[in-house]
Order: sequence, then C-alpha cells, then structure tokens
Amino acid sequence: MATLLDGRLWLITLTALLVLVGVNAALQPNFLEPSVLQSNLTTFLPLVLVAIGQTYVVLAGDIDLSVGAVVALVNVTTVSVIAALGGDSQSVLAGLAAGIGVGIACGLVNGFFVAVLRFQPIVTTFATSIVFAGLALRILPDAGLPVPEAYWRGYAGGLFGVPTVVLVLAAALVTIAVVGRRPFFTRLRAVGGQRTAAFQTGLSVGRLRIAAYVLSAVFAALASLCLTGETASGDPLMGQTLALSSISAVVLGGTALAGGVGGPFGSLLGALVLGMIGNVIFFAGLPFEYQTLVQGLIVLAALAGGVLVARR
Amino acid sequence: MPPALEASGVTKRFGAVVALNDARLTVGRGEVHALLGANGCGKSTLCKIIAGTVARDDGEIRVAGEARALASPRAAEAAGIALYYQELSLVPQLTVAENVFLGHEPRGFGGFVDETTLNDRTDLLIGRFAGVAGEGFTARTRVSDLSPDQRQITEILKVLARKPRLIIFDEATAALDRRQVDVFFSIMKDLRAEGISSIFISHRLDEVFRVADRITVMRNGATVADFATAETTPEAIVREMVGDVRLGPKGGTAAPAEAAEIRLSVEGVTGGRLQGVSFAARRGEILGLGGLQGQGQKRLLAGLFGADPFTGGRVLLDGEPVAPRRPADAIAAGFGLVSGDRARDAAFPGRSILENAAMASLVRDKARLILLGPLRSRFSRTLSGLKTRYAGLNAPIGSLSGGNQQKIFIARWLAARPSVLLLDDPTKGIDLGAKADFFAIVRALAGTGATILIYSSEDADLLSLCHRVLVFNGGRITADLTGSTLDAMALTRAAYGEAA
Repeated sequence: MATLLDGRLWLITLTALLVLVGVNAALQPNFLEPSVLQSNLTTFLPLVLVAIGQTYVVLAGDIDLSVGAVVALVNVTTVSVIAALGGDSQSVLAGLAAGIGVGIACGLVNGFFVAVLRFQPIVTTFATSIVFAGLALRILPDAGLPVPEAYWRGYAGGLFGVPTVVLVLAAALVTIAVVGRRPFFTRLRAVGGQRTAAFQTGLSVGRLRIAAYVLSAVFAALASLCLTGETASGDPLMGQTLALSSISAVVLGGTALAGGVGGPFGSLLGALVLGMIGNVIFFAGLPFEYQTLVQGLIVLAALAGGVLVARR
Repeated sequence: MPPALEASGVTKRFGAVVALNDARLTVGRGEVHALLGANGCGKSTLCKIIAGTVARDDGEIRVAGEARALASPRAAEAAGIALYYQELSLVPQLTVAENVFLGHEPRGFGGFVDETTLNDRTDLLIGRFAGVAGEGFTARTRVSDLSPDQRQITEILKVLARKPRLIIFDEATAALDRRQVDVFFSIMKDLRAEGISSIFISHRLDEVFRVADRITVMRNGATVADFATAETTPEAIVREMVGDVRLGPKGGTAAPAEAAEIRLSVEGVTGGRLQGVSFAARRGEILGLGGLQGQGQKRLLAGLFGADPFTGGRVLLDGEPVAPRRPADAIAAGFGLVSGDRARDAAFPGRSILENAAMASLVRDKARLILLGPLRSRFSRTLSGLKTRYAGLNAPIGSLSGGNQQKIFIARWLAARPSVLLLDDPTKGIDLGAKADFFAIVRALAGTGATILIYSSEDADLLSLCHRVLVFNGGRITADLTGSTLDAMALTRAAYGEAA
C-alpha cells in the first residue's frame, strides 16, 4: 500500500471520485447521459482550472489567495473590451486576448511582491486580491454587459461534435502533461521541497516562483473565460469562493501545502470531488437548510482522510 | 599554466565578528588540496566564498588565471566550481536522479526531460559505489528514503554530475563507512588523473595524509602555512593549527573539589550522531564539550534539554533518573539552556527586556497570574548585576546588541536557579567584551553549585572557561582532558583523532 501510493496520493482521490459518481448515478438515473455529464462538467470546469493553476504555486511552497479576484478582473476586462469594440467576432478574440493578458499581469504582480520583494505569500496575495477586486469594480461597477451570442453559443456548443468544455478539459490535461515533463516542474518541486538546497544548487528560485504565480493567474483567467461563457455577462463579484475552494481541491488531490510533493492531476480530481459532493447532497434530497452544513462536514472528512492516509 | 584557483587577501566580517582577515589559498591543476584548521578558523567561510554562497568583503580570487567575482552559486558554477555541502543540499521529496541532475536535466525531443537518460546516467554514477552503496539505492529512489551514508553518496554524485574543474569536498566522508571512504578516495584519484582539482576538508588527519598532495593550514581567519604533504608530518600540522597561543587566564573559580557530589550522570545515551555517550559532572563543575563541529555535542545538549529526546541510555540528576520528552519537562527537572542561535532558540522579538528575562521563571513557577510590580523589582536586581546597559526594562529586546541580549538570556536562568545549565555555542557572534562579562556570569553561577555544560565552536572559549573538556569525535567521547592535560595542542590533536 505504502509503495503503491508513494507519490500517487491522487489514487485515493480517484477512488473517492468513482464512489461519488456511483452514488450520484444511483440517486439521479439520468446522470450518465451525455447532456447531463456535459452540464456537470460545465459547472465544475472553472474550479478544475483554478485548482490546476493553484497547484504550481503550492508546489513551490507558496499560496495564491488572489485567484478568485483574478477571475472577476478578467471577466470584466473581457466583457468591457468586447463591448467597446462593437461585439463582432474580431472583438470577441480581442476580449479573450485582453483577459489572458490581464491574467499574466496579475501573476507577475503577485510574483514580484512574493519572490522579488519577499513579502509573505498568504498576506500579499490576500492584499492583491483586494486590489484586483477593487479594479474589477472600478471597470464594471454593476453586473451586466452581455457578451455576444457567438461567445456563449460557442462555449455551450462544440467542435466536430466534441463539446467545447470537453475540449477545454482535454487541453488542460495536455498542458499538465507537457509542463510535468519540463525541467521546470522538477525545479519547482525542488524550490518548494527545500528552498535553500534549490538555491545552493544554483536554481533561479525567484524566477521559478514568479513563473508559478503567472501559471496560476493564467489558469484563473481561463477559468474566468469559461465562466463568462456560462453566464454570458460581466459580474465584478464573480469567483469569490474560488480561492479557498481551489486550495481545498489541491489538498484533496494529495499536494502538500508545505510544497514539493504532489501534482496538478490530483488537484483536477480534487476539484471534481468537491463538485460531486455538492451534486450528491442536492440529489440526496436533503432539506435545503442542511445542505451547506453537510457539504462542509464531508469536505472536512475528505481532507482529514487524505491527511491520515498520507501520514502513514 | 595558471593554477586552478588562486585566492589572496580574502576578508569577511559578519557584523562585529571577523571571520576572515587574510585568507590565501592556491590550488594547482589536478591537485588534491587539504584545508585544515581548528574550529572557527574560517575554512568553511572561505569555501562558501569560493562557491558563491557567501559574498566576500575584499580580496581577489582567480579561477584558472581569470579574476572572478563569484557573486552567486550560479556564477561559481559557471566558473567550473562545485561545492560538496556538509549541510545537505538535497531535496528529500525528489528522487536520487532528479537531485543529481537538478538544474542540468538531460533533455530530449522538444526540450522535455529525458527520463530514461536521466535515470540511466544516475544508475551509472551509483555504479561507481557498486558493492558499498547499500540496499535500495537506485536512480528512482526518493531521497527521503535513503540512509545518511547514501545521502552523502548522492551529494558526491551530484557534484560529479556537474563535471566541474574544481570541487570543494567539505567533510564529505563524515557519514561514510571505511569501504565507502576507500571508494571515494579512488574517485578522487580518478579526478586527479582527469586534471580536476579538489579542495578537501576533513576532521580525520589520517585521511588527509592518505589523499592530499598539498595542505594549507588556517588559524583565526588567516592562512598560516602551506605544505607539500610529503614534506610534513601530522605533528607539524597540528602545531600550525594551534599556533603559539598561551593559555588564557583560568578565571576566578577554582575547580570543584574531587569530593563534590556528582550532579549529572549520563549513561550510554544514543540518538542522532551519538553512539553511546557516558560521563559524570560534579556540582559547580564547568564541563566543556569539545571537538570539531557536528560530532554530536549539540545533539547531546538537545537531548538533555528534551528538545530532541535520546533514543537510548539514561540520565541521572542528583541520583534520580530523568527523561525529559520536551523542554518543559527539562526545565521542571532543573535544566536551563542558553543557545547561540538567539533568533531561533531564545529571543521573543519585539517583546520587552523584562518579558524576555522573566520567561523561564514564569514557566518554572507555573505562574497563573503575572504581577508586574514584583516581577520588575525581582529582575531589576538580577539585571543590574549583569553590567548591561539598557534604556529600561520595557525597551524591546532587539534594542540590545547580541552580546547584551545573551546576558539577558542567561539572566533568565539565574532567577530560575537551574541545577544544570546547558550552553550551546553561547558566544556565537558576540564581541570580546560581552564574552568576558558572560563568562564571569557563568563562573559565578558555577560558584553557587550549578553544573555547567558548554559546547563552543571556538576552542579558545573552552580553554579559558572550562575545568574539564570532553572531546567528541564521530558521536563518541574520545578524550577527557583536565588540569595539566588540558591545552590547545591536546584539544586539537584529540579533535583530529590523534592520540593525545
């Protein structure tokens, strides 16, 4: 058991996910129909993306509390750019590019304060999250500004018969695989595992930590573009719960908050588990006023279970 | 052809403390060059400067004839220098192969890590230690699963994989057994044949004479001698390490009489580096723990204080067995500790001098209610005897110099009246004046019957303060020096494993 699980804590997460899928399928007979699966994936995808990005930061021994605010800032930037340019297909592309650009900028800001000026990651990213959220409110004070039909139709639809959300998930998996085989990934784990050793070995510790923050913010930007496709409009308060949910997903997926151990695939599974817990509670027919309480207890139990198994 | 390394006039200060004042070192191409000196002579600082982890204040370093700044580990690596780290530079969460090639991963198609080559090349390197590498040691093993000697071998492989022109081996053989040392020496000879130079630091003089071509000796931050190994002897080397310092004044306290009762008795304790250590200390005795750094002295103090409990053996205090599992147990039993790492082990930064001084008494008295008035009057009396200048008891601890802070931390224990006071390198980074005051306090405390155990990274401290010194080597006590046998020469010889 110990050797099988060595470095593969996500196997536990996968087991939990399969159990939840089984329970959900029993409670909701049409759960496995393609249209239902697609709508579930659409709901879960933003958290999946944010959790993948968060993993890189956590692996480097840091944390990013600003991802939720990045989601909001990217959303309002994208819808504002599209509206300002007239709403044709060209302007949609410009809006998407602007959103990603804002994401990269947010990541650089976080990385600069944490890795160059050596501020405390947890407080710094909490502070930058307030700044990013404030900027979002400045750009778009009230929810609204619908996106063109082409945008949300494209997101709800597909390409060559494959739903767009599946394509996004596949692209995320490919990205995980590619990044995981770059020297960057090993060096990032070295930075999180033993920072002084990484420095003495001659790694550019600062640059690696900045890169992790940029990756995290870019994944948050992608999540924001997906959410925008789902809600089809701008909302400066979007994504507020995503930061802490993404950290829960990362831990559920077997990545140590201390850094150095784990990987984004586990976080992807962890995010799906979090989403499925909500589903199962809803379909179990619990009275509405108990749902949040039970959800919290299940997440707590899942985290505790993972910690206990990992400690053995 | 210029030498592989030429360092001259290198200086370095850490705050008020001069670590190097005139270090010189010349290493020829394809030469194994031993760097020797007593504790605190600056050899590790010099090595860190050459490897780019510490910046020098002044001086010139030429690598293969070219002047270099060596401002960072990367710059040193670019100059072809690799440092074998005594304090391990491995990442426990990564595999052996990932560690060995960290920062130099072999790449295949499209810049991806070529895992097959990575692991094959690492297994090939491990193969150099074939037969002596021990169980379960492959390229894919996680470093956290390795034994200490296997980690040390991994460090050596990591250095070799970098293909440097100059390697600094700082205590590279400390955790290795005899057969592993033999393999390591044959690797050093191979390196020599390839024209790669190495600087070799070891606390075993016999090893130095086996493998080194030349020997440089440092003392008090300066280079004092440079020999060809064939033209010198271990005796001459030890004499250079010690210099002609006279014994410092013995201080105002007479050694406790033979008849004084045994206060602390340690019987066969183990744990960490400690391989079964036994000794007894009398009331009023100041007992030094000598030897080179990292031979188990700090581990002994951490064990006695309950910070890192022993795994075997037993400890008797006034005849009663004590086995502290945490510092609070040890304090209740009558132990106190003053550490040289004030920031980590002692200071409550930002809090007042009074709070910092009172902490141990509050723990010992299990105080539930703190009355500032009585506390203040009690401590102003204690502190006034310390020759410490401070703006007031409410001034933050950080407003004092390191030496004055250390007096406050020992004052903690004066009020708590410990029967055994443990001093862990207490004079680290404090100036000479404060050191003399500190020693006076320690002597006065011993005069009241407390037993003092002191480890110091500076032999001179032990010589001027202690009644008796136990010399540690490889986790054992190898010599017990007192009275006429206690002098700098004997201490250095014992530390380097020569019969005193």
